[in-house]
Amino acid sequence: MPTVAVITSAFEDSAALMARVCGLPGYGFAVVGHPISSAKDQELADKARQVLVQAERLLLG
Amino acid sequence: MYVLDPTAEAEPHPVSRAPRLGSLYHRSIGLLSNGKAAVAPLFDHLESLLRQEWKADEVLRRTKGNYSAPAEPDLIRELARCHLIFTGVGD
Amino acid sequence: MVASPRLLSTRYEVEDERAARELFHEKGWTDGLPVIAPTPERVLSCLDQAALAPDHVIGIEPVRARPITAEKAAVNAVLAGCQPAHFPVVAAVLEAMCRPEFLLHGATSSTGGCAILIVVNGPVRLELGMEPTFNVLGMSDRASAVIGRAVRLVLSNVLDLRPGTLDRSTLGHPGKSGYCMAEDEEGSDWTPLAQLRGAPAGVSAVTVLAAGAPRQIMNEWTTAPEEILETFAAEMRANMLHYSIWGGNYAIIVPKQLRDRLRDAGWGKQHVQQFLFERARVKKRDWTRVGKGALVTVKNGDDEHVALTSPEDLLVIAAGGPAGGFGAVIPPWFGYKSRAVTTGVGVCFAC
Repeated sequence: MPTVAVITSAFEDSAALMARVCGLPGYGFAVVGHPISSAKDQELADKARQVLVQAERLLLG
Repeated sequence: MYVLDPTAEAEPHPVSRAPRLGSLYHRSIGLLSNGKAAVAPLFDHLESLLRQEWKADEVLRRTKGNYSAPAEPDLIRELARCHLIFTGVGD
Repeated sequence: MVASPRLLSTRYEVEDERAARELFHEKGWTDGLPVIAPTPERVLSCLDQAALAPDHVIGIEPVRARPITAEKAAVNAVLAGCQPAHFPVVAAVLEAMCRPEFLLHGATSSTGGCAILIVVNGPVRLELGMEPTFNVLGMSDRASAVIGRAVRLVLSNVLDLRPGTLDRSTLGHPGKSGYCMAEDEEGSDWTPLAQLRGAPAGVSAVTVLAAGAPRQIMNEWTTAPEEILETFAAEMRANMLHYSIWGGNYAIIVPKQLRDRLRDAGWGKQHVQQFLFERARVKKRDWTRVGKGALVTVKNGDDEHVALTSPEDLLVIAAGGPAGGFGAVIPPWFGYKSRAVTTGVGVCFAC
């Protein structure tokens, strides 16, 4: 199942390590700026746009 | 003297990636939230974009019961009928 | 490098103990403190003590399906300074942590930064010289120090849970270096923790909890059990406001001075559990006065949140020095995501 896993920038390295130890080295993630917990609605809208752009590359690449 | 390696020394079994999709349009798309508070509004925006720009036929929203644990098997089964899934957010 | 016919780990040849220590530091296999060289002989001694074959799987971390073998556990136990007698306790702790309800991966990788509280019950405490009184939460005795340390080294080395990699703890706390203690069964007529949680009486057992740092309370000005325990309740409520509002397996440590007041009033552990079950509660709107008003709405403000969904979820531990009206509240990592687990040392309760 093609999957886009969305993470924040603070977790890029641990996500990469987790992908490697699970047998998927180099697995690509959609990365948005950290944190999202306190982000305002317009910021979240911008982040959703960023996810969409990255997803296209990850799913078709 | 000899000393022993304390690490697992276990290589993971390689996992293959899913086949690439030929097109992203008119798909059934799953959005799996880990349940953290900001993910719902983020995914609301993402759902709008998927419907408007990717012309998604269906957007199926589901939320994990515990964001620190893998998704429950019944959620996975429900989402398995989608063409693709977004999951997040690891923060 | 040659593998032993019995042991499977890669072997490194070193000149002496000092060279071994430096090798392990260079490879990132320590916690920063000097380690004991895990020679095949020392590792085999630990395995023999626990009657475990090197390839015996003590447990499997479920998310990554990563096994913890007896051999790897023993290597890290020797590294930590364990003698063979300590190893059966280490093995029991690891087995308990691999139970699904403990949520090992979540608890040990979370930004929440908990550590593994280990409470030891039964005869093994006396055999290992564990000291459940003075300084029970720090530098109490050799066994507590090396058992706690061994568990941390297994997490780092076998499960790759190193700070900044898979272990994303923002702060962590000092318990990450070791958070092992014994209950003072000889100094208390309260039922031992493991026994209350299902272990047969008189059997050696461990209880593990994904736990935050201990929060010390003090109330030496009353003999009334309700007033003494209200101070514990206040600390639990504070945790619900300041850290996490979600209920879970809280632990409290009650040293002798306060324990005697409770005992004199005829209060046992069940009375303590019931009282704190009733008193450790907050309303969602209480979050407003601690800067968390952004999550309070008209709809949820009156919601009551409980620290314990049942009295039995409170782990009451008799331990600590003989003087001082102090106690400790140890909060769970994050609600009921991870549950405390109790298991036997070298025995199976369910068998």
